This record gives sequence, C-alpha cells and structure tokens, in this order.
Amino acid sequence: MRKLIDLRMGLFLAALFLVTVLAPVASTLQAGSTFAMPSYLIPLLGKYLCYALLAVALDLCWGYAGILSLGHGAFFALGGYAMGMHLMREIGARGVYANPELPDFMVFLGWDELPWFWYGFSSFPFAAVMALLVPGLLAFVFGWFAFRSRVSGVYLSIITQALTFALLLAFFRNEMGFGGNNGLTDFRDVLGFSLSAPSTRIALFVLTAISLAACLLIAKAITVSKAGKVLVAVRDAESRTRFMGYRVESYSVFVFTVSAMMAGLAGALYVPQVGIINPGEFAPANSIEIVVWVALGGRGTLVGAAIGALVVVALKSWLTATFPDLWLFALGGLFILVTLALPNGLLGLLDRFKPRRAKPAQEATA
Amino acid sequence: MLLRLLTLCLALMLPSLAHAQTLEELVARLPDGNFNDRAEVVNQIAATGDPRALAVLEALLEGDLEERNADGRIVIVTGSRSNQVATDVLTGEDLGAVARRSTTSIRVNNGLRRSIRSAMGVMTLRDPDPARRLAAAEAALRAPDAEQVEALAAAMAAEQVASIRQAQALAHAAAVLASDAETEAKLAAVAVVGEAPALVVQATLNAYRNVEDPALAEAVADTIADAERRQAMWGQAQNLWFGLSLGSVLLLAAIGLAITFGVMGVINLAHGELVMLGAYTTYVVQQWLRTNAPEYFGWSLAIAVPLAFLFVGAVGVAIERGIVRHLYGRPLETLLATWGVSLILQQAVRTAFGPTNREVGTPDWMSGAFQLGEMTVTWPRVAIVIFSLTVFFGLLLAMRYSAFGLQMRAVTQNRPMAANLGIRTGRVDALTFGLGAGIAGLAGVALSQIDNVSPNLGQGYIIDSFLVVVFGGVGNLWGTLAAAMGLGIANKFLEPWAGAVLGKILILIFIILFIQKRPRGLFPQRGRAAEG
Amino acid sequence: MTAQLYLDGVTRSFDGFKAINGLSLSVDKGELRAVIGPNGAGKTTMMDIITGKTRPDGGEVLWNMATDLTRMDEASVANLGIGRKFQKPTVFETHSVEDNIRLALKAPRGVFASLFYRSSVAEEAKVTALLDRIRLTHLRTEQAANLSHGQKQWLEIGMLLAQEPQLLLVDEPAAGMTDAETMETAELLKSIAGERTVIVVEHDMDFVRALDCRVTVLHQGSVLAEGSLDHVSAREDVIEVYLGR
Repeated sequence: MRKLIDLRMGLFLAALFLVTVLAPVASTLQAGSTFAMPSYLIPLLGKYLCYALLAVALDLCWGYAGILSLGHGAFFALGGYAMGMHLMREIGARGVYANPELPDFMVFLGWDELPWFWYGFSSFPFAAVMALLVPGLLAFVFGWFAFRSRVSGVYLSIITQALTFALLLAFFRNEMGFGGNNGLTDFRDVLGFSLSAPSTRIALFVLTAISLAACLLIAKAITVSKAGKVLVAVRDAESRTRFMGYRVESYSVFVFTVSAMMAGLAGALYVPQVGIINPGEFAPANSIEIVVWVALGGRGTLVGAAIGALVVVALKSWLTATFPDLWLFALGGLFILVTLALPNGLLGLLDRFKPRRAKPAQEATA
Repeated sequence: MLLRLLTLCLALMLPSLAHAQTLEELVARLPDGNFNDRAEVVNQIAATGDPRALAVLEALLEGDLEERNADGRIVIVTGSRSNQVATDVLTGEDLGAVARRSTTSIRVNNGLRRSIRSAMGVMTLRDPDPARRLAAAEAALRAPDAEQVEALAAAMAAEQVASIRQAQALAHAAAVLASDAETEAKLAAVAVVGEAPALVVQATLNAYRNVEDPALAEAVADTIADAERRQAMWGQAQNLWFGLSLGSVLLLAAIGLAITFGVMGVINLAHGELVMLGAYTTYVVQQWLRTNAPEYFGWSLAIAVPLAFLFVGAVGVAIERGIVRHLYGRPLETLLATWGVSLILQQAVRTAFGPTNREVGTPDWMSGAFQLGEMTVTWPRVAIVIFSLTVFFGLLLAMRYSAFGLQMRAVTQNRPMAANLGIRTGRVDALTFGLGAGIAGLAGVALSQIDNVSPNLGQGYIIDSFLVVVFGGVGNLWGTLAAAMGLGIANKFLEPWAGAVLGKILILIFIILFIQKRPRGLFPQRGRAAEG
Repeated sequence: MTAQLYLDGVTRSFDGFKAINGLSLSVDKGELRAVIGPNGAGKTTMMDIITGKTRPDGGEVLWNMATDLTRMDEASVANLGIGRKFQKPTVFETHSVEDNIRLALKAPRGVFASLFYRSSVAEEAKVTALLDRIRLTHLRTEQAANLSHGQKQWLEIGMLLAQEPQLLLVDEPAAGMTDAETMETAELLKSIAGERTVIVVEHDMDFVRALDCRVTVLHQGSVLAEGSLDHVSAREDVIEVYLGR
C-alpha cells in the first residue's frame, strides 16, 4: 500500500476527496451564503477532472515508457463519441424530427435506417464498454504494428499525429455517420436522469473524481510493479532490455493500450458534462496541448500530470475569457518555458527546494 | 429631294435591285407587306453589312421596333406602358415620350424570328471584331442550324484568322449534320467534328447516335468512342499535372524541413508558421507597392522572394540561437518547444494583421491559363512547379558545392571532428537552421499565390511536410523530391476515385503503414551506422 | 563434447562492405574463449548476429547444434540462455542498483507475469549474493546513473549473471577499469567458465593473457587463427595484422 500511495499521491487524493465532497455541497447552498458556489461550476470542475484524467493517461505512456503520443486526443474523442452515440439514442423521439429510431442528423441527411455500427448503443453498458474498447483496440492495433517495427521517438510522435489528423478528416465527413461537422449534441438525459438537473451533474462530477482517483491508482500500481520498471528500463536502454529477454514491443503495446483506454474513459465522462462532442476534439493541436499539461506538472509523476492539466486548463479558461489574445502567447510561452527551464515540471521544482529525501521508499520486499 | 423621291420610286418598282438599297431605305420598308416580305427585307438588311443593322434586327426581334404614325419614322419604343420613350432606330436620336397608340408596332411571328436570328448570326459571323466573330462561330456550334450552312461556308471563305476559321469549320460541320445534306457530306462533317476537343465531340454528335443511315451512325459512334478514349487519356495527363503541381507545393513546404529535420535532426514544428511568415512578407511587399509604387506591382513577387528568404531566415536563426540550441540531442523537447514557438508566431501575426484572410494579388504576367490538348493549364501552377524545382536544385547545388554546404555536412556528420578542424559549429548550426527557415519563407511566397493568407496557413502544411520528409527518408533530399511528387500524384489519382477527403485519409493511412514497415523511409541513409 | 555455439560460413555485408565473410566458429559448452582482432574485424557484428540483432545474409548459426538462431529476435535468443554485455556499459540509469539486478533475475518475461510479479525470499537472497559478488552492496539503493564507469561495468556483469545464461557474450569488459579491477574481472570470468560458456571480445592483451584460454583471431570478417595465445601471437600473419601492413 505504501508503494501505491506515497506522500504526493496521498495529498492529491485527499484534496480531490475534499473538493468532491465540498463542491457539490457548496453548489446546493442558498445563493448569498458565504460558501455558495454557482451550480454551473460543477460541470466545469467535472470537465477539468476529465482533462486531468487524460493527462494521467498520457503520462503513463510518455512519462514511464517514453512513448510520446501526439494522438491521445483521438482516443479521448473516440471514448467521447461512444458515449455521445448512447446519449443520442437516449433522445429517442424527442428530437426535432421526432424520429424514435434515427438521431436528428440522420433524418436530416435523409437516411432510412440506423447504420450497423450504431447498433447496441441504445444500451448504456454496451456504450460504456465501447468507450473503453474502441480506443483500446485502436491503440492495440496501431501500437502492435508500430512497436513491432520498432518505430519510436519522434517518428512515433509524427505518425500518432497523422493518425489523429486522419480521424479528424474522417469524422468531418457526413457519410461516416457520426454527425459530420456538428458532431453529436442536444443530449437530454443519461440512464433516465436529465442532464440539466443539478443532481445528475453532481453525480457525474463525483463519478469523474472517482474515476480519476481509480486511474491514478491503477497507473501507479502499474508503474511500481515489475512491469512498470521494465517500461522505465525500456525508456533508459531499450536494447539492454531486449538482450535481457524482455519483449519490448509487448510492454509498449500494453501500456499504450491501457493509456488509450484511460483516455477513452476521460472522453466518455467528458461528453455528458459538456453536452457535445465534435470532430474538433481530434484536432492535432489538442493532442499536443495535452503534452504541455504533463510536461508542466512533471512527466513521470502521474499526480503532477493531473495537477499540470488543472493548472493549464484553469489558466486557459481565465485567459480566454479576459484576454483572449494572450492565451496562445501564454500557451506557447509555457511550452518553451517548460522545455528550457523546467525539464521536470512543477513537481521537479518542488524537489529542488526540498532537501533530498532518502531514496523514496524503494520497494521494500513484499 | 427629287432624287430621293426618284430612288424611292425605283425601289418600289424594282425589288430586284433591293440589294443595292441603303439601310435607311430597307428599314423604312419594314412595316410593309406580309411576314414573308418582311423576312426578305431582314435578309437584305443583314446583307448591307452596315454596322447599325444589328441593332435594328435586335430591336425587331425583341418586338420593340415600331412605326410612328405621324411621319412613318421607325423608332425603338422602350419603357413601361404608361411612360413610353422612343429613340430613332438608326440615328439613336432621343425622341422623347410618345403617347400610346401614336405608334404601330412592327409585328413578328415565329418564322420571322427564326429568319432574324439566322440573319443576325450571319452578320456577327462577318463582324469586324475578331472576338465577336469567334463568339458567333461558337454560338453557331452550340445551336447548329441547317439554315446557316451557306452563311458559315461564306464566312469561312472570307475569314483570315486561322483559329476563327477553325471554329467556323466546326460550326459549319455541325450545321451540315443538322441539315438534310448527302451522307457523303455528313461523313466529312463527322470527321471534322472528330478533330475537336472531346467534350465538343460528345455534345455535337450525341444527337446523331441513332440516325437511320447505318454508315453515318457507325461513323458517329466511332468518333465519339475515339473522343472518349482521348479524353480518358488526357484525363490521366491532367491528373498527373495536378499531382505534379500538388507535389511541388508539398516539396516547397518540405524542403526547409528536409534541412532542419533531415540534416540537423531538429524537429521544427514551427516550420508551418515560417511558411506563413513568408506569405505575409509577400502581402506586406504588395501593400507597400500598391501605395508607393503601383507601377512596379508586377515585380512584387520578385521583390518578395529575397526579402522573405532573408526575413524568415533571420527569424529561424533567432529561434535556433534562442531555443533550439539548448535542446540538441533531445528531439522530443525540441518538438514541444518549437510547437510553442509556432503558437506564438501564429498569435503574433493574428494580433498584427487580424485573423481574416489577407488579399495577395497575382501579377498580370502570371495569371491566366492556356490549353494543352484536352486540358487547361493555369500559369500560377506552372510558375510554382518551376519555382519549387528551382529552389530544390539550387539547394542541392549549394549543399554540394558551396563552402557553407561543405561545412554543414561536416558538422552533421562528425561534430567534434568538424570543431577540431576549426569550423565554428555553433555558427553553422544557426545558419543551417536559418537556411531551412529561409526556404520555408520562399515556400510562403509561392503559397500566397494559391492559398489563403491567414495566420492558420502554416498549420495546413506541417503534418504533410513531415510525412513527406519521413516518407522520403530523413537526410536525403532526393528522397524528399520523390516522396513529394509521389504523394502529390497519388493524391490526385485517388481523388476522382475516392473523393478529396477520403483520398487524403487513405494517403495518411498508407504512410502510417509504410513508416511501420520501413521506418527509415523510401531512401534510407546508407551504411552500418544506419543499422543503429 | 558438443558445440554449444556453432557458426558456419556466416556472411553479412553492409552496402557491399563484407563485415562478416565466411565466419566459422565453434565453442564448446563450458568453454572460456577470447576473440581478438583489430578494429573492423567484425567482432561486434558477430555478436549482433549471435544475439539476433542482425540477420546474416547466409550461413548457419546453431545453438546446441539444434536451434537456428538466425530466425530469432533478441528477446527469444536471450530467453534461450544467451546473455550479452555491451562494450559501453549499459545499465538502467534511473533505476537503483538493486532494481537493475532484480530486472535481470531469471523469471518469466511476459507482460502480465511482470505486472503481478512478487519477488520471493529466495530471489532477494540471490540479489544480495550477486551484489556481494560484484561489490556493490553498499550502493544497493543508489541510482545507477550515479555509479562510476567501472562500477557500471561491474553492475552490468552482475545483471548478466542474474540472468543465469548458459552463454555469456562479453564485449570489452575491461575498458575503463583500473589494472586491479581488470585482473579481478578476469578472475571472475574464469570462475564463471566451466559452469557456463563465456566468449570475451577484447583488445587488451594483458587481459587476454590473464584469461588464459583458447583465442580466436578475427580479421576482415573471418577467422585468421585459433589456438593458445602464445600459439597465435607467434604467427606471422597475426603479427602483420596487428602491427600494420
């Protein structure tokens, strides 16, 4: 257990727990009360936590296995689309065209029947499984091909970027059957609960917080396991690991797939809270932005990645609202600052001011 | 006066002399007689060759030509019912408002209308203005009329300009086909039409596919099939050309990267923005010329090329010295930092020039197009193909033969050794990066001619250019050339079959698969070192 | 005694340059063999071919006269029991010394086996014993990045031993070591031989002499001479190759 929850993890989880309990309470207080929080902030916080989860997913494969994916936005979006498809089906006959079977955009396009790949999405469990499975499967296949051919480093980054770009173009097409340009939106409810009801929003927020905590712990468990050490070993000296008999590509595919599934989960939680998913989520720039979250927080720290995401996204919300022109300057500056001055991110900065502790609880024998 | 009366009498008595009559007299006779008489007069009007005749016939055709009851003057009446205005048909003199029923319209029926149109066609066929003659011949081709066979033949005989005569011959052949001429003549006409562009062949001959005459039907079918074959062939040529032209654009965008990424191993994600800066340099040059020296606008691109190279090259040197220098040997960090640079450049341009597209003009000497066989080739495309190949070979020569090229290769191949030989490696790094950036600037000048100049210009090229460099084999300029052209052509051949977007997706998937199969690209760097 | 490693007529060229040219070599089980040769003689390429990193253009590479090594990748070859030490010491810099050894310990190498791996008391004892043997016990929890060059060499040898391979391929183990360390390394390798097969590629003649074993001289990708060190160093052609032409 000590391996799993070290000081940072403990502090972060405690803080997350506090926010998860206090924010919903504050949002239900009477307006005017000292601690009252406007209720629209709940889905916003939920959205932030989704991004934090996405950052943790990327950190797992970049920070520990050295796989810099510039296409994690694609896995996030695919998870989001899977959930969005379920939410579309839940609208049922309440759409503009009142078609019980077809979502509005299909009626608008003059389609007569549901495409086969929409079958099953009326069931929530099916959609939830697909939100994990589709990104996972894509990552598995893509990773299997890439790592088996020993594509690594910047080459891998470039082709992941091409992957998300190809998906962006594909999802823009109406013929794909995912709502084209407009994506999926106008959701009503999930599992029978209205998406606009404060209680549903709180439930989704809490669910996101729990997922973030769970994924942090899973990711931590992987990294402290022997498999996690092998991953770091691959990052440090790939051929040494091979000559030791470890099949490097299996480990890379494994961590890439797990990471993609976490990204998919983040996307699936994101869509009901934001209320829309469109091809813009596949934009290559989005995927690169995730990297700066992780880099700012500190790669290879998991908790740092989550914190980095929260800091950058909050900064983005604030800047785009107050000084929209400054946002890209700030983001660009952040990229340069982090790479030149903060190679270990914010958490690394903390370490610098702290007297070096004895080696962090180096795996006592179990 | 007496003389005039006399001639009028003569004209009335001797219709056979009508062709010698003046336009005034013929116009005066228009209200007389029945429709057949009127048709005869129309033909005579056309035959005068008088430049004013066309206006008369046009007005007659429109039904605007009327006779003033008071003096028999022939006028054009226009305007709304309550406010009619008359002008003299021949002199154009404004005769002011006319009361209703003070004029009698000269009536036309369908038969007469046909005669008028035919007569007008014949007139424009002989128009002094060559452009109008050509237009008339083309119009006659579009609507073949058996009545015009002779007129077209006559026009052909008189025509001096070869291209117009060719158009007239085509129209003549079409008219022959529409007439009830002998099979012999029609077969000859089919042969004439067969020489025309495929689209014209199809449009002209399709109606005769099912004629009763078996010989003629066969000739028509053969000619159409022939034209379709020709068209398919030229279609491939057209695809090839579009592909080369797209390939040149890719090449231009990628050459700079081939230097920074291929030679130095630096991932510069701001490359697209450097291209964008080149395009904005062109815009600024043109703005300055427009306000200060509009007469030199034709030189704007020639001025922009060196300026863009120097300016963007300087930006590149600044990026290298300020940022990239500290990150050598850390490719992933370089990638992230240059991405940051790209965001800053984008926003800087957006702040300075606004987010919307800027208008960059094309000098007159570069606009327009010419016809090559069955395909249309636009001059800007030709210019870009030539420009990108020039840049490519220029760079190749510079790398191979200039002192700087030698130093550059020395530094990239063995840095410590180069340093020991007294080469200032830091300076070479900066200049190499600057060279890559400068070439990006040149690409920007060219792309400003075919793409929207906006702060987002660069983003559209960055992924493509990286794929070109990686596909071609990092560090190999020839590979970059082959990859750019190959991908450009593949893209254009896929497009008609799969659609533009799907074609692009297929290419992306192909490259992703290709890189996994051959991670070192089409033309990998040779040697044991490459085994890594 | 059968050959544990058997190479026959192996060739491999890079762009026309024949790095290995009809190389034939046979090493018995438990033997200690030194391979020497000038730069470019093909020593490293030979190791690459045996360990599955490079595919030969032709020829046979057999393990225990039965398994064809040319069709296997690095991990499969390693799992057969062939361990390799690089010329430049290569350890996992961000792992602690003991974790470096732990990762090398003989154990199932699959992803899920590693994911749910729990080390046993016996394995920890092995780690302790190995650390003792390579004299790094006092640096047990230190990051490998902080070790000296010689210590890294030792650590890598320790990792190799932890793999419990049947054949050890050791590339210039003495590089960067003090004379005393060099001699210790020679003793260590000699003590390993017998139980395991050891092939050492080396430049340092003193070291080779200390190994006191059969020597194979490579030149231009094939075997020039083979025998005791005294025997081969007496040969004219070997002297010529080593002292220049």
